[in-house]
Amino acid sequence: MNWRALILVFAISAMATLQACREKAAIATTNPLLKAYDVEQDANDPQRVIPLNYQQAQGKRVFNNTCVWCHAEATPAGPSNRSNVTPTPPLFTDGETLNPLTDEFLQNTITLGGSAMGKSTMMPPWGQTISEDEIRSVIAYIRAVAQPPYQPTARPASQYPVK
Amino acid sequence: MTAEEMGKVSKRLRATFAIASVAFVAVLAVSPVKDYFQEWKRHEKDYVRYAQTRPDTKHLLADFHSGIDQIWLPDMKVVDRCTTCHQGITQASLGDSSVPQPFRAHPVIPHPVKEWGCVVCHRGQGPATEVAEAHETTLAWEQPILPTKYIQASCGSCHRGDIPQTPQLNRGRQLLSELNCAGCHRMQEIQRPAMLGPDLSNVGNKVTREWIYKWLKEPHIVVDASGNTVVDGYQTEEEPRMPQFRLTDQEITALSAYLSSLKSHPFESYKFDPRVLASLEKRPDLAELGQERFRQMFCTTCHSLAVTRGDETKLIGGDIGPELTKVASKVNPDWLITWLRDPQSYLSHALMPRYQWSDEDLYKVTQYINEKLTDPDLLSNVPQLETPTPEDIQLGQRLFLEKGCGSCHVIEGVSPQKDFGPDLSSLGGKNVSQLEFGSAKFPRNIVSYIQAKITDPLSVNTAARMPQYRLTPADLDAITTALLSMTGNPSSSGLERLIVPRPRPGFRAAGAFGEVYERYKCYVCHRFNGYGGTLAPDLSFEGSRARRQWTIDFMKNPQTLRPTLIFRMPQFNMTDQEAATIADYLGMASQSQFVNVAGGNLKQFAPEMAAMGKQLYEVKYQCQACHTIGSSGGYVGPNLSNAGNWLNASWIEQWLKNPQALVPGAIEPRRTFTSEEIQALTAYVLTLKQSGQPKAAISGAAVTGGAK
Repeated sequence: MNWRALILVFAISAMATLQACREKAAIATTNPLLKAYDVEQDANDPQRVIPLNYQQAQGKRVFNNTCVWCHAEATPAGPSNRSNVTPTPPLFTDGETLNPLTDEFLQNTITLGGSAMGKSTMMPPWGQTISEDEIRSVIAYIRAVAQPPYQPTARPASQYPVK
Repeated sequence: MTAEEMGKVSKRLRATFAIASVAFVAVLAVSPVKDYFQEWKRHEKDYVRYAQTRPDTKHLLADFHSGIDQIWLPDMKVVDRCTTCHQGITQASLGDSSVPQPFRAHPVIPHPVKEWGCVVCHRGQGPATEVAEAHETTLAWEQPILPTKYIQASCGSCHRGDIPQTPQLNRGRQLLSELNCAGCHRMQEIQRPAMLGPDLSNVGNKVTREWIYKWLKEPHIVVDASGNTVVDGYQTEEEPRMPQFRLTDQEITALSAYLSSLKSHPFESYKFDPRVLASLEKRPDLAELGQERFRQMFCTTCHSLAVTRGDETKLIGGDIGPELTKVASKVNPDWLITWLRDPQSYLSHALMPRYQWSDEDLYKVTQYINEKLTDPDLLSNVPQLETPTPEDIQLGQRLFLEKGCGSCHVIEGVSPQKDFGPDLSSLGGKNVSQLEFGSAKFPRNIVSYIQAKITDPLSVNTAARMPQYRLTPADLDAITTALLSMTGNPSSSGLERLIVPRPRPGFRAAGAFGEVYERYKCYVCHRFNGYGGTLAPDLSFEGSRARRQWTIDFMKNPQTLRPTLIFRMPQFNMTDQEAATIADYLGMASQSQFVNVAGGNLKQFAPEMAAMGKQLYEVKYQCQACHTIGSSGGYVGPNLSNAGNWLNASWIEQWLKNPQALVPGAIEPRRTFTSEEIQALTAYVLTLKQSGQPKAAISGAAVTGGAK
């Protein structure tokens, strides 16, 4: 009689543990660049590849259409227009100049033009040509490629709860 | 059995029953316990705990819902439970990369995550509630998450047309069509063109059997002087269209015999005017004269040449036509002259314009090509090939069909096999179990499968007929993205409504202009009414912009207007009649609704307005940052030195009001000028005039090979 009880107990415990024995697929560790929407070769260090998210990638596209002519050393047409502009515009990767400027300042300068912000008149206003979101994405892009890297200033959390 | 005995039995039975009952309750209890320890519940609890460490706890917890969260898109047959664990995905305050997954917010995208969910773009298993099942391939759940590197493929499964936000996908689609993948494979949205590779019916008159042998043996791979193997004689960035096929020497001998025997239309060699020959033949600088003419005509706008500067050899020039560095070692000199005079007589779909040649120019340029664009060592390692035997020709013709050559190249009287390669129109949506991996060594997922098939077809299937392409890693990823976007026809009519169609515009002009348009192949570089190339400016509204006389002068002698464009317009040696036909057509048909060319009255622009305009141009708006007048200024916008002769007054006014209304995507920013300022600036620009462009300056600009 005992062996019957044994079989019973064994069968029950087997059923109970069966569920736990399912094979689970291991989550593969992936290359971080596989997780990037687009990538950008670092202008100063060809070994370094900067991953860009969707917004930064859109910024790269807008930049290469609109801003590249005066804010980069090489343009789709070859030489840059930088040397024809006085004062010389900062390069888009120039972190030393651009990192201290806030997002709001950059957004305003691009939207309203240099003269509205006390900068060079040669920087035209883009607010009616490219959208607010596109300008924001351009800023996200230059933050991503800045050299030295851009560190967002830690803003203290609001003391009032956000509703 | 006595009552006592029965009591004994029942006691034992009762004990067994009691144990069984306890065990049964224990088994039943497994279910609620298992439910309690579900992975997603653990993530929800973690999220609540994490939210409490954040400064905006109250806000985060107000949006928190416990339980399975589901987004259902019945039109797309998508059930998406990802937000069950990815609780913070729409919380802007959790966007920082220090926030642990699965709680990090998603970057801003045009399709809000709240409405569209995740699997529409990232794929994976929407209904799954376990991490592994949702993200990876398991036995029952076969669609893994798509690596973000290829995510533009998901954009492409609904947006069938190219959109600017997906450069990688657009590049992949462009490559699939350029590399003639549609020659053998059926693909979604990429149609098989009428003619893919060159028509070979008459190839025996164009090239020698030795050259065909070399080409088949090493298509575009030629060994340079130092013994390095380089593409097409020189390192190019573009992948040559003809891939390398795996052919034995015997097969190549047979194919070269067959192809060199194809001489469907014999041609007569062209007789130059004896006076021209007499005056030029003896000149020692004949090749240099031809080279000068070659440059003046801007052949390098479409064709590239290898140029060595210092230690670096680079290809300079366009990629519309073939690379020409060693072309004289390839083609028969008589064929070259016939081709230059009338390309379409040899190949009816050729994109090469039919230039107006003088005998003198034709002689000079062909002499230059024959003398300078040649490499005597090109065919040195080709074995001695005898006159083709009928057996070789027969074998060659069989091989031509067996190897799939007929899928791209047409030969009169030879009908190719239909659907030579597998159908790829729904490849991107396939499960791993639907793919044939054979004994392949790479990881079993669709991305590795596609990339292995392209980079090394034999690694998947040893009997593969697919030729060898050599793509850069970026191009390989682009093609992978485009193939992954082909998820087949929509599974429901609801989805069909969501699919954004691919525009297929076509524009063919009629009448006298139509002839000129076809002859000079204007549409290869310029765009008319949404159809044509993008190398040169869109001419849809050119009649509103440019004045008739200026257009005629420009056609006769194109100058550099826009320094940001890399390539210059070739000099076609057009007749006055043809130039006038173009100017008249553009003036009549290419008009913008915003510009009233006839309405303007030039008398309204007084000299003092022009003076004010100059002030505005130079001081207030500093237009010289981008525009050149005379010799100073920037070169982002067109050169305005001759704008007074070039532009219509009403075009300038409308342009200053809103450039993008006239030319969508124009770089010039739209500004808020007052109407007085617009009048003044227009008055000033109209005073900018240049008398007769000196010819020397134009040829001077040409010397650098067109790529300035």
